[in-house]
Amino acid sequence: MPQLDRTEELKAALAERILVLDGAMGTTIRTYGLTEADARGERFKDSAKDLLNNGDILSLTRPDVIADIHRRFYEAGSDICETNTFSATSIAQSEFFMEDPRETGGRKDPEFFQQVIENPFLVDLAREMNLESSRICREVADRISEETGRPRYVAGAIGPLTVSLTNSPDAEDPAFRVVTFDQVLTAYKQQVEALIDGGCDILMIETVFDSLNAKAAAVAVQEVFDEREMRLPLILSAAVGRGGETMISAQKVEAFWNAFAHLKPLAVGLNCSLGPDLMRPFLEELSECATAHVSCYPNAGLPNPLAPTGFDLEPRHMEEFMEGFAREGLLNLAGGCCGNTPEHIAAIANGVARHKPRVLPVGG
Amino acid sequence: MKTIQPALRLSGTEAYNHTSDKRFLMIGERANVAGSPRFAKLVRAGDLEAAVEIVRQQVDNGANVIDICFDDGLIDGEQMMVHFLQLLQGEPDIAKVPFMVDSSKWEILEAGLKCLQGKGIVNSISLKEGDELFKERARHIMRYGAAVVVMAFDEDGQAATYEDKTRICERAYRILVDEVGFNPHDIIFDPNILTVATGIEEHNNYALDFINATRWIKENLPGAMVSGGVSNISFSFRGNNVVREAMHSAFLYHAGKAGMDMGIVNAGMLEVYDEIPKDLLERVEDVLLNKREDATERLLELAERFKGKGGKKIEEDLSWREDTVDKRLEHALLKGIDKFIDEDTEAALAKYGRPLKVIEGPLMDGMGVVGDLFGAGKMFLPQVVKSARVMKKAVAWLTPFMEEEKAENMAADVAALKAEDPGLTDEEARRRAERGRSAGRFLIATVKGDVHDIGKNIVGVVLSCNGFEVTDMGVMVPCEKILDKAAEIGADVIGLSGLITPSLDEMVHVAKEMERRGMKVPLLVGGATTSAAHTAIKIAEHYSGAVMHVLDASRSVPVTTSLLSAEQNEGFVRENREKQEKIRRSFAGGAKRETLTLEEARAAAPKIDWAGYEPPVPSFTGARVVDDQGLEELVEYIDWSPFFHAWELRGVWDREKKELRTKNAAGAEEAAKLYEEALGWIERIISDGRMKAKGVYGFYPANADGDDIIVWADDSRSEEATRFHTLRQQVKKDGGKPNAALSDWVAPVGRDFVGGFVVGIHGADEYAAELEAEHDPFGSIMVKAIADRFAEAFAELLHHRARVEWGYETEEELTQAQLIHENYRGIRPAPGYPAQPDHTEKPVLFELLGAESATEVVLTESCAMHPGAAVCGLYFSHPESHYFAISELQKDQVEDYARRKGMAVEDAERWLGHWLGYQA
Repeated sequence: MPQLDRTEELKAALAERILVLDGAMGTTIRTYGLTEADARGERFKDSAKDLLNNGDILSLTRPDVIADIHRRFYEAGSDICETNTFSATSIAQSEFFMEDPRETGGRKDPEFFQQVIENPFLVDLAREMNLESSRICREVADRISEETGRPRYVAGAIGPLTVSLTNSPDAEDPAFRVVTFDQVLTAYKQQVEALIDGGCDILMIETVFDSLNAKAAAVAVQEVFDEREMRLPLILSAAVGRGGETMISAQKVEAFWNAFAHLKPLAVGLNCSLGPDLMRPFLEELSECATAHVSCYPNAGLPNPLAPTGFDLEPRHMEEFMEGFAREGLLNLAGGCCGNTPEHIAAIANGVARHKPRVLPVGG
Repeated sequence: MKTIQPALRLSGTEAYNHTSDKRFLMIGERANVAGSPRFAKLVRAGDLEAAVEIVRQQVDNGANVIDICFDDGLIDGEQMMVHFLQLLQGEPDIAKVPFMVDSSKWEILEAGLKCLQGKGIVNSISLKEGDELFKERARHIMRYGAAVVVMAFDEDGQAATYEDKTRICERAYRILVDEVGFNPHDIIFDPNILTVATGIEEHNNYALDFINATRWIKENLPGAMVSGGVSNISFSFRGNNVVREAMHSAFLYHAGKAGMDMGIVNAGMLEVYDEIPKDLLERVEDVLLNKREDATERLLELAERFKGKGGKKIEEDLSWREDTVDKRLEHALLKGIDKFIDEDTEAALAKYGRPLKVIEGPLMDGMGVVGDLFGAGKMFLPQVVKSARVMKKAVAWLTPFMEEEKAENMAADVAALKAEDPGLTDEEARRRAERGRSAGRFLIATVKGDVHDIGKNIVGVVLSCNGFEVTDMGVMVPCEKILDKAAEIGADVIGLSGLITPSLDEMVHVAKEMERRGMKVPLLVGGATTSAAHTAIKIAEHYSGAVMHVLDASRSVPVTTSLLSAEQNEGFVRENREKQEKIRRSFAGGAKRETLTLEEARAAAPKIDWAGYEPPVPSFTGARVVDDQGLEELVEYIDWSPFFHAWELRGVWDREKKELRTKNAAGAEEAAKLYEEALGWIERIISDGRMKAKGVYGFYPANADGDDIIVWADDSRSEEATRFHTLRQQVKKDGGKPNAALSDWVAPVGRDFVGGFVVGIHGADEYAAELEAEHDPFGSIMVKAIADRFAEAFAELLHHRARVEWGYETEEELTQAQLIHENYRGIRPAPGYPAQPDHTEKPVLFELLGAESATEVVLTESCAMHPGAAVCGLYFSHPESHYFAISELQKDQVEDYARRKGMAVEDAERWLGHWLGYQA
């Protein structure tokens, strides 16, 4: 059954209020105290490399935990939750399942990644992860929608990869790239197809460190749309450093918007990398130039090993910051990234509910 | 409610929004192989670093967007587009601007799109191949989020007229906006700027057609932008930058008023509209706006005045002055800029405290970079020599400070060395301390009897760039002095240089002496007449240390480095010995060319029908002195190719195009720069009167007598004034070709004549020494190389004059090119060169002409001319006379020759050593 394009419904809701995104998947998983054995399950028990940090694999080995996390975020007030697919591509999964050629004196290069994107195990695994993750989130969303009578949405998360299309790892050879655009495009396309097949409502290209990687993802999304003669709403979210540039490709916020405005995304935003305080000037800048809705889901401050979540800011702090943004009319969607638990999201939802959403500029 | 103005919004890592407050969008055109020959050359030569610098310069100069194009038959465009864009991505100050991916090939555009993280521009697509392909490509571009340039082409070709331009642009616009869904602000029309003032009447309205079409597009196709390649408009004035710049500015002024938004423009080739001279502007605008029928003629007429003028100069970029002192020194060394070297050296001294630290730190580091780049073929000799100049100046500035603290530091260094190795003697420790970080001590000299030193100086400079401590003893240095000096300074290597053949013998002598003194240091041999074969066969045998032949300056570094490297020395020397052994074996046992006896060779002499020939008679006999030949007149006669060879830039100089024809594009570029600099030096030399050209030439009644040429005291031909002795080819010729001697071109009886000349350029050595003292090795080499060219040019000019005076050529008969290529009748062979390799014929010529007093050119004991920038020779007028080469001289001829000359056979053999076909 072809996916329903819920863009208009979402736009109507966004006109009314600030929609709430979810919190962190990775750091929340950590609070469940899972072990390596949990991550491996029966299926991957003989895997050569450790899998505990491969959070996406839990959709296959501990789907109960993933479903529980989604449930808690939806119950805390999230309108949209992201699927557990941040690293669910053949390229990202190769880190966990392929021998690193650097350990045997080789290097990662397009030849290596060609094997990766053609590796049947990795391709099938990535597809299964996306399909299952999308389904799990879908089920939880539908159940809670029914229970609360408020529509809940599933955003298929498309992460940044562990390789860069704009940077050379070799200082001696600045034109070298470990991977090609077409390889990244292929991997993303497989991810997008499976996410859609699993039932997501939105596609979310997020934590954009490298805008050219994101461009490959964007091309992948459009190719799938054209091939399937369908459309889903799109959200783009960049991870910028303290100077306001994408962390790897160094693209400034407005340049980022210019590069992706042609997609006519439902929303464009910033997430991860910074806490709300440091993100503020760049959020303002984006809010100034973007004709799309603006989303923001910062980290809960900076990493702090002594804090219970591993991050500085407590729910009340996040509520205060995000409410401040909302008051100034900078926000259409709000949530949290690393360090944000369901309690944080409840606080953020509470804070932003008191304010009108940002009014979209006209023209552009 | 907030509104955001619709506009063309682009990005690299930074946004560029072409909003209505912005004026003209400047597209840098120089990273385009079609638009910039320099860029094309760099890319073809693989020098992408320099190509990247071109892009940086444009960004620095304010280009908003950079056009990048590799449409060139010799370049793999698709691969290069990807590679280059990836390189640019690594340059933060370049990657900030949006890129325009430019190609006529769709595959290249597609490949380029995959490298743009920001929003760029695709240049271009058109309706040339119909609607369907156009739509497909537009959709693809839209998916990647780029803007697009649409050329005004359709299935019938390029739109030239206003009607065609507007019709095609409208059609493309409707398809893009209505069917494809393209953002109209992302559409850029290029309605074709075509060349005006071509002399063809239909072209007269081209500029106006473009301007009017622009106005129509801006009024009727909302959002769309208009662009164009501006330099096309002035193509008919290539080479006349003043007129071209005026045309570009005036065109942009009018097209801009009509709404043209952007253009592919060389920002360095734009005159400020208000600064165009009024008369020029009027005629330019007459042409552009097609105001009068004779507009083209009138502009052409005025253009003559500006021909060859440079136009606007790109402003000097001083941004490197903002950098740290280390970086400034490196920049100065790399670029050969000595303007700020004193202040920078001072700053470095303040930073590092001790002068030696400055030398061993930033200065040596900088020279290390220069050495590496030269080794990698990325810098050329003239650049390296300029770097050395900067280095020398920096060291000169530091020298007084070094002297000051030398004593105390020396004591400390000696103590440190002895602490490290208690076995060291005081003497040895002091010697080592003195050397500091020197890579090795290199003693270099031109041997006794020889005055040539350009090549030697270059070797010295190149070695010192690579950290060697070079002691240059100059020219005409006797063997004893060289070897004494070597012992005194503890030389690690001795280098001998020589240009004339007798120098080869002197080198043999030096080698023997080294052996006698029990020396072990390696001996390097170089210079024009030296060869690997001669070194192996004649020199190496006499010395048990290593003897190396070095082909040119650039080889001197690896050879010296290997010799002084503890690890490499042994293998390197062994390899060299094996090579030389091989050469010796093949010389001894190799297939010799078949030779004739002297008698047979004489029988095979050219047969000239003297009975049917009337020799030309010169307008005067005896010598004429040219006391002060104007140098201006010589410039036209210069053959530049050897000048570039002196700088190790190989190729043939094209006089018309003023470029060096060579396979190495970067080398050609360096040659072009060097040429400009040489002209500057020549100008200064002339205006400051730094050089003086003196010459003498004359004609004499003469007749051949066998292989001799009798010169008669007067036309009565009764009293012999002197005799020239010539040598005959003894190699057996194929197909009945004759065995020539120079005497063959003079009639044995009847009223024939020979001529002779000596020319010399004075002042170069003194000037070079001054420059050397000013730490300017570049200038020093330059003036010597120029003096050599002047001497050759003077010889050529005098020969030209002589042929006219000999009555067989008229003044204006030949072009300069023909002169250079010796497309004239008669020859001017010099003693010591292949047709008559014996230098001892020079004194005969000098005496005949009274040349020493007339020209102040003197002969050394090896019969080299001093000053070195001198040329001499004999004139022969016979139409069949031509240059040839003697080789494989046999004993019978050498004995005969010695008898004719009245010299001992051994002496003759010594002077002819190189040319003998037997072991003397």
